[in-house]
Amino acid sequence: MSTGLGLVEVVKRYGDVVALDAVGLQVGPGRLLGFLGPNGAGKTTAMRAVFGLVDLDGGHVLWDGREVGLAERLRFGYMPEERGLYPRMALGEQLVYFGRLHGLGAADARAAASAWLQRLELGDRAGARVEELSHGNQQRAQLAVALLHRPELLVLDEPFAGLDPLAVRTLAEVLRDEAARGAAVLFSSHQLDLVQDVCEDVVIVDHGRVVATGHIDELRRRSRRRRIDLRVEGAPDGWLPDVGGVEPVGSANGALRLAAGRDVDPEQVLDAARRAGRVVEFGYGPPSLAELFLELVG
Amino acid sequence: MSGRRAVTLVALREIRERLRSRAFLVSTIVLLVLVGGSTALNGVLAKETTYHVGVTAPVPAGLGAALDRAADPFDARVRLKVLASPAAARAALRDEDVDAVLLLGDDRLVFRATVDSELAAIADGGVRALRRHLPPAPELRTATIEPPDAKDTDAAVVVAAAGALLLLMSFAVYGQWVVSGVVEEKGSRVVELLLSAVRPQDLLAGKVIGIGLLGLGQLVLVAGLGAILLAAGAFDAPAELGGSLALVVPWFALGYALYAVAYAAAGALASRQQNADTAAQPITYTLLAAYFAGYVAVSADADGLVANLLTVFPLTAPLVLPARAALTGVPLWEHALAIALVLVTIVALVRFAGRVYAHGLLHAGSGLAPRAAWRAARRT
Repeated sequence: MSTGLGLVEVVKRYGDVVALDAVGLQVGPGRLLGFLGPNGAGKTTAMRAVFGLVDLDGGHVLWDGREVGLAERLRFGYMPEERGLYPRMALGEQLVYFGRLHGLGAADARAAASAWLQRLELGDRAGARVEELSHGNQQRAQLAVALLHRPELLVLDEPFAGLDPLAVRTLAEVLRDEAARGAAVLFSSHQLDLVQDVCEDVVIVDHGRVVATGHIDELRRRSRRRRIDLRVEGAPDGWLPDVGGVEPVGSANGALRLAAGRDVDPEQVLDAARRAGRVVEFGYGPPSLAELFLELVG
Repeated sequence: MSGRRAVTLVALREIRERLRSRAFLVSTIVLLVLVGGSTALNGVLAKETTYHVGVTAPVPAGLGAALDRAADPFDARVRLKVLASPAAARAALRDEDVDAVLLLGDDRLVFRATVDSELAAIADGGVRALRRHLPPAPELRTATIEPPDAKDTDAAVVVAAAGALLLLMSFAVYGQWVVSGVVEEKGSRVVELLLSAVRPQDLLAGKVIGIGLLGLGQLVLVAGLGAILLAAGAFDAPAELGGSLALVVPWFALGYALYAVAYAAAGALASRQQNADTAAQPITYTLLAAYFAGYVAVSADADGLVANLLTVFPLTAPLVLPARAALTGVPLWEHALAIALVLVTIVALVRFAGRVYAHGLLHAGSGLAPRAAWRAARRT
């Protein structure tokens, strides 16, 4: 049984700046891992390290427990943060070229290229130069290059950035399918709602350190804070439940969002609300991934 | 992937993409037109040669007409100059008033320092016709009154200069292709993706080899046209110069490998905003310096100490050696030493450039100073 990708105690320094401070993470086959963190937290550096594009100052990048080398990398698919293909090369040929660089035979590479162009709705653009494609289509082309050779590991740096909602849906489907076929998938994103939808697991980094790692639901439950949504008709403006440990986070269209400690009894909040007016909406639960993220790195 | 497979794929892509580019087609056509055009010009200018032949009195009737008829197939004419005595003939030869002196009594055709084979053939044919003799016995023996000139023949100078210039141009042009290819990969950022699957040295090798093969193809095409024209007699050049011309091809390979690897490293060190031209400058200046050093040294004294040194010095050898071989000949040991030194330099440069290449390519945005690149290269 493959254990997939493992980063172990990975360290990278740029002068005095520690970009990666003993970062560790694990993505098994068939798993989708969301890689989160504010800009400059070290996500891109960690992902580039998987492909040997960063000279590490310490730690290991492992595949199935063995140090990753070129032979392993050929079975990985990569969408770099810095997107780029040959601008003047035809799209179809470009896909075949990268497929072949990853070890596919000529016929296999051609078949895979046309299959992916079809799936990503680029079938009629195979002969176009990449520079002639729209931004969105260039993004799809980049994805096709990463997927073409049926990689065992997919590393995608901000794959959702700049996509329209339709493309977001397609990409989310593709990623789920890739995981379902057995690929290990690691991707970074700032669209946390999306990550919450797509992924089971996340790693959150900040200032080069892992600040949280695990199953999303598990992490949310473990949070010391809870989220309360409330809509009370007839309550005076600016009303807040008079319960210790509860504070407002925001309000919109008459709905109130509150943050509370995990030990606060939601019944008490509900009772207070009933005293103020008619309760038409009440919600209680762990923080969303976005809230958790802000809690951890805010 | 095995390194060789990656190198092959990279090289094939270079060839395929460039064969399609308009720039390649245009440059090939321009080169062919240049070679063909210069030949045509040569043909026009050398439309009719007039030979001045001295003859000692008395002149047999019909000699002039017979010589002119013999000269006709060569697009040449013969002017006879009647000279009073053998002494006068000798003086006319020495003063270059005449190209040759025909001594009918002796069956001899006398030149000053070098035998002109075309004139010899004309004179032989003319005299045979006059005497109504049949071939193949030659009518005339040729002779010279002075030792061959130490001065280089015009054709050798032309071949040496044109060969060196052709090499200089091809190193610079194909080197520029290498730089622009590297800069394009860096600028378009595709290099990040490439290096996730290909070792930097394989990428470097594939690019240099691919462009080199294309360049060689272009050169062979041009040199082939030149050889055909030479064989067809379009040039007025001695046959042994073909050998000197042939030397251009292996020295193209060696010199190109040397300079292209350096060009690739220069491209890798360039910043993303920098264009290929400025990135190439240090190497192009080195190349020009090597050319002019060789040119000056060889024209001053083709057999002098400096010329000999530059023949084996790796940076100048690819330009100087073929030129000197055409002019004065180069001893075998000097060929061997020059080749050995160039090969050693290429190996060292490939190692260095391979490392610089990796660091330079991934050094995003700003350029990388060579010193920093060298330090980085040493660490790995």
